[in-house]
Amino acid sequence: MSEQTSGHRTLAVRESSARADAPAAIEARDFNFYYGDFRALEQITMLAPRHQITALIGPSGAGKSTLLRAMNRMHDETPGVSSDGQLLLEGADINGFSDLIDLRKRVGMIFQRPNPFPMSIFDNVAYGLRLKSQGAKKGVIAEQVEQALRGAAIWDEVKDKLQQSGLALSGGQQQRLCIARAIAVEPEVLLMDEPCAALDPIATLKIEELMGELEERYTIVIVTHNLQQAGRVSDQTVFLSMNPETRAGFVVEVGPTQQIFTNPKDDRTLAYISGRFG
Amino acid sequence: MNSDTREILATKDVAWERRIMAARRRATLIDRAMTGVMSLAALFLVIVLSGVIFIILRAGLPAISWTFLTTASSITDPGGGIGPQIWVTMYILVLSLAIVTPIGVGAAIYLSEYARPGPITNAIRFSTEALASVPSVVFGVFGAIVFLTIMNLGFSVLSGSLTLALLNLPLMVRIAEDAIRAVPTAYREASLALGGSRWETIRKAVLPSALPGIITALVLTGGRIIGETAPLILTTGTTISPNAQYSLNPLQTGETLAVHIWVLKIVGVPGLQDAQLVADGSAAVLLLIVLIINVGMAYFTNRLTQRLRGASGAPRAGGSKKG
Ligand SMILES: Nc1ncnc2c1ncn2[C@@H]1O[C@H](COP(=O)(O)OP(=O)(O)O)[C@@H](O)[C@H]1O
Ligand SMILES: [Mg+2]
Repeated sequence: MSEQTSGHRTLAVRESSARADAPAAIEARDFNFYYGDFRALEQITMLAPRHQITALIGPSGAGKSTLLRAMNRMHDETPGVSSDGQLLLEGADINGFSDLIDLRKRVGMIFQRPNPFPMSIFDNVAYGLRLKSQGAKKGVIAEQVEQALRGAAIWDEVKDKLQQSGLALSGGQQQRLCIARAIAVEPEVLLMDEPCAALDPIATLKIEELMGELEERYTIVIVTHNLQQAGRVSDQTVFLSMNPETRAGFVVEVGPTQQIFTNPKDDRTLAYISGRFG
Repeated sequence: MNSDTREILATKDVAWERRIMAARRRATLIDRAMTGVMSLAALFLVIVLSGVIFIILRAGLPAISWTFLTTASSITDPGGGIGPQIWVTMYILVLSLAIVTPIGVGAAIYLSEYARPGPITNAIRFSTEALASVPSVVFGVFGAIVFLTIMNLGFSVLSGSLTLALLNLPLMVRIAEDAIRAVPTAYREASLALGGSRWETIRKAVLPSALPGIITALVLTGGRIIGETAPLILTTGTTISPNAQYSLNPLQTGETLAVHIWVLKIVGVPGLQDAQLVADGSAAVLLLIVLIINVGMAYFTNRLTQRLRGASGAPRAGGSKKG
């Protein structure tokens, strides 16, 4: 960790070993997104390198969630939305995927509020597996469930109560259960929309530690309001802001987290970061 | 009151203060009074239910015996039972629910998950509301024309069940739709994000969570089916053929308990001395059936909710607890 003094507070920025030239898992090029006539995202260009953590930061309403949800086409359920420009998963146009199910298996999502299904812990994690391979043998599913729970660092806490409801867990455990559920189907990318917003500091810390482990196997894109968190966990940072007149979100600056936090190129980034820490 | 406070008071607008205090006292009083009125209204419900149970059982329990529940009725001699009527009641209950549930839940799924706002959805919604307010006897006349005359099913359990299914469809749709809509969007999103198709999401994530509400719809519908008379009189008839008692044939004529009570109490059976007692006994049995179904389903729903939501039953998804 290197330390930088900004205002009166000290900000820990993670020393990233990530290579800046790693191939992009997700990339946007001049990507625009519209809710009806309202342009929520304008000419977004950014990339999320493979097996790194990319943080989307910026003020409320800048379109962070909108961008994140475009990456696995959660918007498809909302009537009246459209987009143009390019949004790519491993070079393939995300909006060109004919098989939405395939896309979503490759790009998993963790939500702001932990949302386990009202069913047992086991069934929660097995949910995606059962969708994928209906003919799978019971023993095999059990193995994959265990692996996913271990991967989400929650196995030891729940191994004796797999048949209990997932809703009986604490908030932090629920969120890790949701991560287990998402990684059970072995995605390439994990999208996280403020995954710790509803959690207390200890639970948050556990999720952050977990993200560090997950990074080895998955590409992570995380939206966070918490700049300290972005500094602690991410390799790359994308700073989005909002056009005050049109309210469209646009990218101010993209770069390695360390550079964005210690030596931003754009004054607006500096203002935002020192404003939020000052 | 010490002199300091008095001084402060004196510098303020004393009349104004008094007005506020008076208004506050009044508000508190009204609050208390309204709380009283509301709890009385709620209490009234309990009293009515207890009253119904007490009076009906007191009149009817003396008639109830094993023989009463299992033997056929008699229109000439005292001592007849209501066995076949119980059978027909349950038969129509099961058959109507079997017809109305898939259609009702299907329509509810369509309205809550697929329908886009627009003229077609509006038309469906309007039809549902309108159908819900059509008097049941009108459904009876309709059923008599369509099922008896046009489809030539005759006075039969099937005609009656179909009629009651139509009659209860709007209620079923509305309650089931509410239950499905009440399922948090978060469950749908979670399922879709895992690669679930639309239908998989509905079947595996939405419907299980809506099940308690759908069961409520079944119970309410079932209660109405059991209690209905007018449409049944016009479609299943008021007699049970002696050689078709306890028959599974849906084309037999039938008489439910509710219709039986109506025949005994209103139409009258000349010469049958214990007609009133049999009617009271039938009413008691009817009430007991409804109570058992209600209590049983409440228990089942509770168990189900507990299993889905965890032992304590209470806390919903969220981060209020310590991680
Ligand atoms: N379903 C929607 N329909 C219309 N506008 C929306 C919808 N969702 C979000 N928006 C708008 O898009 C903009 C970006 O929202 P969002 O992506 O949620 O921002 P952020 O996550 O950065 O706070 C906001 O102006 C918001 O009001
Ligand atoms: Mg957001």
